[in-house]
Amino acid sequence: MLRVMSRRGDDRVTWDMQRVQASDPEAIAAVREAERIFAQERAKGATAFRIDPGKPPQRIDQFDETSEQIVMVPRVVGG
Amino acid sequence: MNLLTQVLTALGWIVIALAISPMVWLILQPYVKRWSRAERRATDLLRDILTPEQFRQLLWRGYLEIPSPTEPRRVYRVPRSKGYVQVIENGRAIMRLCLQPVECLPDADVVVLHKLMIEANEETYLQKANKYVCID
Repeated sequence: MLRVMSRRGDDRVTWDMQRVQASDPEAIAAVREAERIFAQERAKGATAFRIDPGKPPQRIDQFDETSEQIVMVPRVVGG
Repeated sequence: MNLLTQVLTALGWIVIALAISPMVWLILQPYVKRWSRAERRATDLLRDILTPEQFRQLLWRGYLEIPSPTEPRRVYRVPRSKGYVQVIENGRAIMRLCLQPVECLPDADVVVLHKLMIEANEETYLQKANKYVCID
């Protein structure tokens, strides 16, 4: 799942890896859409974190469809 | 007579207020709903990211303590709503940090943002935050 923080809460794109591996067109389209959003948000300065249960979050620069959950936070500045 | 006029005037205003309140509600409703949906979604994310103990701490104490991944004696105290993040070392507040997203986010999302950045990207987090040293 890709979760992108915004003023609306977080926008989500989900996909099923088993269906992706089975070449399901809908699942593949969802992954491509998530990848596109990931690239778009990164270009705007967002930071992405891979979240795996029981592990500390990990910053990532490349989209990884095998991640259970990716959370993107907008660019931050000192206040 | 004067009292009667005042009572009638007050009643008139009450009737007007009651008459226009549905219209005001119709205008404000989308904004209220959008705000509450955003907060609800942000709270869902917060619940997913925090452990049950951390979630309870945030609810009851009003802040979340995040241990530094690099400095064992350091803890970051992130408030539930907008405000400075306190840096605690050896039980003493040594610094306040101010860091905010460029986009307006629900409060729960801001807590998640601080947690993720501290745990996965502490060096950058400290570089970007404005620091205010606490002096006793």
